[in-house]
Amino acid sequence: MVDFARVQKELQECSRDIERSGIKVIPKSEATLARLIGTIPGPVGTPYEGGTFQIDIALPDAYPFEPPKMQFTTKVWHPNISSQSGAICLDILKDQWSPALTLKTALLSVQALLSAPQPDDPQDAVVAQQYLKDYQTFVGTARYWTETFAKKSSLGIVEKVQKLVEMGFPEAQARSTLEAAGGDENLALEKLCSG
Amino acid sequence: MDSEAEFSSFFDWLTRRDRARELSVLMPLILGAAAAASAATPDTEDPDAGNPERRTPRERIVLIDPFSQRVAVIEGGSDLDSLLQGLGGKDGQPPASKASIDAMPSVEIGEADGGSECAICLEQFEVDGVAKEMPCNHRFHGGCIEQWLTLHGSCPVCRFTMPVEEEEVVKKSEERGGEGRRVDGEIRVRVFVHNRRRASEGPDQASDEDTMQS
Ligand SMILES: [Zn+2]
Ligand SMILES: [Zn+2]
Repeated sequence: MVDFARVQKELQECSRDIERSGIKVIPKSEATLARLIGTIPGPVGTPYEGGTFQIDIALPDAYPFEPPKMQFTTKVWHPNISSQSGAICLDILKDQWSPALTLKTALLSVQALLSAPQPDDPQDAVVAQQYLKDYQTFVGTARYWTETFAKKSSLGIVEKVQKLVEMGFPEAQARSTLEAAGGDENLALEKLCSG
Repeated sequence: MDSEAEFSSFFDWLTRRDRARELSVLMPLILGAAAAASAATPDTEDPDAGNPERRTPRERIVLIDPFSQRVAVIEGGSDLDSLLQGLGGKDGQPPASKASIDAMPSVEIGEADGGSECAICLEQFEVDGVAKEMPCNHRFHGGCIEQWLTLHGSCPVCRFTMPVEEEEVVKKSEERGGEGRRVDGEIRVRVFVHNRRRASEGPDQASDEDTMQS
């Protein structure tokens, strides 16, 4: 049986601290506290900056004696996160879990993972390869994914391409330039005009 | 397959482990690992038949859940190591020995500790109540820390490691010694449901992974 008294305390503590940490945890539904949604801001100074990332949380019956199951629902380009499933490769969510960790500290660790990828222990081999062999492209793609999937307020990539097409650029070229510019439509426009 | 010999040697192993309590903790884990492997392995008729190059004898492990009377047979090679590591190695620190858990002193919570909380349940300690103190001086409710240490023998706060049971150490060194022999890459898992009338474990009784889901 999940220790719901503890989960309740964790949620309270988390919402008290939200201004400082930026970490949000809310129940998925009113029915149970065993399924939650976590939100972390992309760390400043990384390709994830400006993005808001959602993480699906499922608490096993033995929580907090077993780690919470966490998985990105926001698509993210990172060596230790599956670009397909959102599965996270992080030791504290597996064998290095401790019951003194909380949902907040676990999410803070996930956020730290965004800042400090560990390509030697990859979850996504393709991303890890790119990170090691072509770091600039990795940064571009990661930023592009952040722009496309983790920024709800800004224009989606489809709209951006559409905008450039309307300006008279071929769609394929608009898309690839936008991609290379990490989703920055102004930079893409500059490149398209100069190229 | 030589199931009789298999079973007698397994029961040897089982009787050597006199702490049924620990076994009941391990079994769902073992069955869980078996379920995962079974799902990942394509079901082949007989992998030996189609592969004449295979000469190394297959490793085979039989696991029983004494409570639900389920049996799992794991056959395979090098991946068995990683599968079994999930029981203690890769799956974090093994449980603390019973002696080391019992040896933790009870300490009284005084005024000075007022407001501090148990890092496991996040409840504050009651003044004049008692807590268990680990060798690293970290304090928890007795029930909270004992439950953790029977799963993993490390301090939740500082990861100070507690002594493990002797047999854990033996098991570890045996595993290490055996590593060289395991060259076969394939794992095969079969699950049998123990018939109440008699222990029939022939392949005909094999059932799919549904049986393993508890
Ligand atoms: Zn406690
Ligand atoms: Zn400690």
